[in-house]
Amino acid sequence: MHTHQPARRRRAIPILLALALLAAPRGGAAASAPGRPDPRALVKAAIDYWRGTSSDSVVEMTIHRPDWERTLVLRVLTLGSDRTLVRVLAPKKDAGTGTLLVKGTMWSFSPKVNRVIRIPASMMHQSWMGSDFSNNDVARSDEIVDRYRHRLLGVERDGGREVYVVESVPLESAPVVWGREVVRIRDDEVLLGHDFYDQDGRLVKRMRTLEVRVMGGRPTAARQRMEKVEAPGEWTEVRVRRVAYGARIPEAAFTLSALRNPRRF
Amino acid sequence: MPILVRLAWRNIWRNRRRTWLTLAAIAFGAGLLVFNIGLQMGSYAMTIDNTVRIFYGHLQVQRAGYLDAPKMRTAVARVRELADRIGRVPGVAAAAPRAYGFALASSATRSYGIQVVGVAPRREPGVSNIPGLVRRGRYLSGDHAMEAVVGRRLARNLHLDVGGELTLLGTGRDGSVAAVAVPVAGIFETGSAEVDRGFVEIPLGTFQEVFSMDGAGHAVVVRGRGVAELGNLERRVRAALPPGEDLVVLTWDRLLPGMKELIDLDFASSWFFYAALVVVITFSIMNTFLMSVLERTREFGLLLALGMRPRRIGAMVLLEALVLTLLGLCLGECLGVAVNAWFYVHGFSIPGMEELAAHFNMPSAIRPRFTPFTLGSGPAAVFAAAMLSALYPALRARRLRPLEALKAA
Repeated sequence: MHTHQPARRRRAIPILLALALLAAPRGGAAASAPGRPDPRALVKAAIDYWRGTSSDSVVEMTIHRPDWERTLVLRVLTLGSDRTLVRVLAPKKDAGTGTLLVKGTMWSFSPKVNRVIRIPASMMHQSWMGSDFSNNDVARSDEIVDRYRHRLLGVERDGGREVYVVESVPLESAPVVWGREVVRIRDDEVLLGHDFYDQDGRLVKRMRTLEVRVMGGRPTAARQRMEKVEAPGEWTEVRVRRVAYGARIPEAAFTLSALRNPRRF
Repeated sequence: MPILVRLAWRNIWRNRRRTWLTLAAIAFGAGLLVFNIGLQMGSYAMTIDNTVRIFYGHLQVQRAGYLDAPKMRTAVARVRELADRIGRVPGVAAAAPRAYGFALASSATRSYGIQVVGVAPRREPGVSNIPGLVRRGRYLSGDHAMEAVVGRRLARNLHLDVGGELTLLGTGRDGSVAAVAVPVAGIFETGSAEVDRGFVEIPLGTFQEVFSMDGAGHAVVVRGRGVAELGNLERRVRAALPPGEDLVVLTWDRLLPGMKELIDLDFASSWFFYAALVVVITFSIMNTFLMSVLERTREFGLLLALGMRPRRIGAMVLLEALVLTLLGLCLGECLGVAVNAWFYVHGFSIPGMEELAAHFNMPSAIRPRFTPFTLGSGPAAVFAAAMLSALYPALRARRLRPLEALKAA
């Protein structure tokens, strides 16, 4: 597991990051460093943090629209930095539907057709399960320190804690749609916010952590909301019901056959 | 007849050969304009009719806002009933309900994002050519049949043939997962890469079940008798919409903005040609008048000496121009209309076009259009230009002094 290249990721993955990022043991190097920390190190620390850890959680995802709302209950398993399995538990109509992510590649399984389908790159910007998260938001665990330039914009205070505001700009060669992202990371690695700007510098969507609670023994972003700037009144909120960090999850849980057969996890 | 008109008439025919030549120039120019514009409009109308007949219809009724932001939830309730209602509107040749969705289409090995269209199999042939363009297999059989027809390029991309299984995975109207696996009943080819690569049609009933539509759809597609009658059609359909449902009528130019732009661009470029034609005709007319005024300087001098007002002379020259131009335009109009009428009956077609058209289930010949615009705009432009060009000789005639004029060679 530690044979992975070092320093690979950091792109916040709203749902999963929340779960995974916090999983880390306390005391990232950057967080405890005095003065102004090196943003790249900060980001790298956050990544190293959840690499090699695992989590098993149940979250509620509420998709809100002005005339309509619906809530899904999801079980999310993560292992290391690049394995994630999301399974829909409720509502009944969608139960069993799963999404598997391994190293940035995404597969979807629908029990209705009993078929595993690989999500093509062209669809990574489509909404994930009808929410305000795109497939990319869920999948891109792979976009990294090396592919972005990081800059510490400032340090804010939040209830006695420091919050590092880091601006990450993709390098020219990075295959990303965003022109700029701004991430707020609390000194205990809890992600407080993630803003996505387009190539023209306009804010397109933003994710906010609305509630931080100690869950599974660690401070956890227990409630997060993703909003698109252009569609006020539309948002998707993720609430963590329960989470266990460091759970022993076999790698075999992150395979296509496990995706197809829910009993395996 | 006023004396001035009689004088003008006689003057025109004093040099018959020159007059006929000028008339020929005017008539030819005007006739060419009438013919060309009529044919051009006809070809646009045909292009539009053919294109909208592939899939989009002359117009569609949708929920307001759907076109700009196509969301599943921006749906038309009870879309079948609405289609029935619109189908009874006079001038509507066919109306068919549809539902649109986005899905991931996959076969055993590959997947692509595509547009899924739920169609009423019996109604669809009235508004779309796709049912008639099925090259392999057959079209959809029933409203709730579990089957699909796909475009040829998509079939090739997915390595699918008739009988193969196509899996569709998308999001339903209520946000739930919409998934279905259906056998491919047929493969169509429209010639439009966009359609052949990105469309899957399934029966509307099946669509509504899979995507949790609860009887709703996204559009009623309407075909009228032709683009020519679109204005009336649009008004009538709008009047027939049930009140209070936030529905809008969208014509083909809104549905296919790219095509509208293409036509506008093409039309703009032909303006240069028409303008050049008008300029050439104008010079020929101007030449005639100027010559005739210069030739008749002595004569005008005599008239002035006899007490005729310079203004009357100018008016007479203008009148001559007017009569000559109108005569030419009449001839030209007849010529243009005659040629267009001939092509209207026999059809104007380019070699090779017929075969191609037959392949794609389309009419093969262009028929010129007859509208006030196609009939009038060319002659009107020639008329304006001719009158403008006659001004100079007329003004010249007005400025003549009797003595000098009489002395002129």
